Amino acid sequence: MYRGREGQWAFYLHRISGIGILVFLILHVLNIASAMWGPEVSNAFMKFYHQPVFQLGLLVLIAGVLYHGFNGLRIILMDFTAWGVRYQRQLWYAVWVLFVVFYLPFLLKIGGGILGGSHGD
Amino acid sequence: MQVTLKILRFDPAKDKKPHWETYQVEAEPWDRVLDLLHKVKWYQDGSLAFRRSCGHGICGSDAMLINGRNRLACKTLVKDLGSVITVEPIRGLPVEKDLIVDMEPFFAAYRAVKPYLINDEPPPQRERLQSPEERARFDQGTKCILCASCTTSCPVFWVNGTYIGPAAIVQAHRFIFDSRDRGKRERFKALASGSGVWRCRTAYNCTEACPREIPVTQLIEEVKREILFDHF
Repeated sequence: MYRGREGQWAFYLHRISGIGILVFLILHVLNIASAMWGPEVSNAFMKFYHQPVFQLGLLVLIAGVLYHGFNGLRIILMDFTAWGVRYQRQLWYAVWVLFVVFYLPFLLKIGGGILGGSHGD
Repeated sequence: MQVTLKILRFDPAKDKKPHWETYQVEAEPWDRVLDLLHKVKWYQDGSLAFRRSCGHGICGSDAMLINGRNRLACKTLVKDLGSVITVEPIRGLPVEKDLIVDMEPFFAAYRAVKPYLINDEPPPQRERLQSPEERARFDQGTKCILCASCTTSCPVFWVNGTYIGPAAIVQAHRFIFDSRDRGKRERFKALASGSGVWRCRTAYNCTEACPREIPVTQLIEEVKREILFDHF
């Protein structure tokens, strides 16, 4: 593994989270489109996605969206300001601060639900 | 001190793929990695192949992947690495033998950005004068020694295959921001294409790898903005 620093990991995580979000969107659209075959098919899909493992998936998805969004703002600052590149490392740490602040409520609500056995129902 | 030197070796005449070989070398802390490679080649195994010319960080021949980062073997001291040192050829270019790679794709990208002054206006009576500020605008890019440390540290370059890479963009920057140059649009043909600056995903490996301390990503971003705002 090449021993790159913050910038390299920021890029790898951005790419992985982006692909993850794309996979979710495809599944999401397919799920909604399943209504075309009637309520039985659609409800079967919904039931399938209500399994506990997808609650965990939801936590991963929210993490991906938050990271991708905040790091996207970092990239905009680097692309469109004269100073963004100079402070890219500090900006990346700021991304993580924002990430934690915004992720905690989701973690407590959904994670608590998983541990409490409610599965988000 | 005793140094364990691991080198990723490949002999096209007999190897199907590269393999690691380990050498024990007696070294001083202030020895450079290039000195260690010399000790191996001169006293242990003469078949070891690597490039070096000036040995003083100017010719750009001996860029290698040393302990996981691209560096010049002639500018990297043993004391900064410790007693176990790994040396691999730079990535993303075809390996010819041991630490020697085929640099042709790298130089093809360099030529694609037309790295020379383009100006069809009639020459003035004297020099094409330039203010110190105008000269300073492209100063960073003039430090490049074409060692390929930046380009071969780029994750996009490793997998993309056609990306012209940071070094070519740095060379383009040197002329695009030269007040005497008129060839901006010609260079944009390569730079604004599908294998040009937009492949850069700002991983910053290039900036950290540059042995001349050129802020490579900064220059790439400036070229991106120059292309973006060119027609406004």
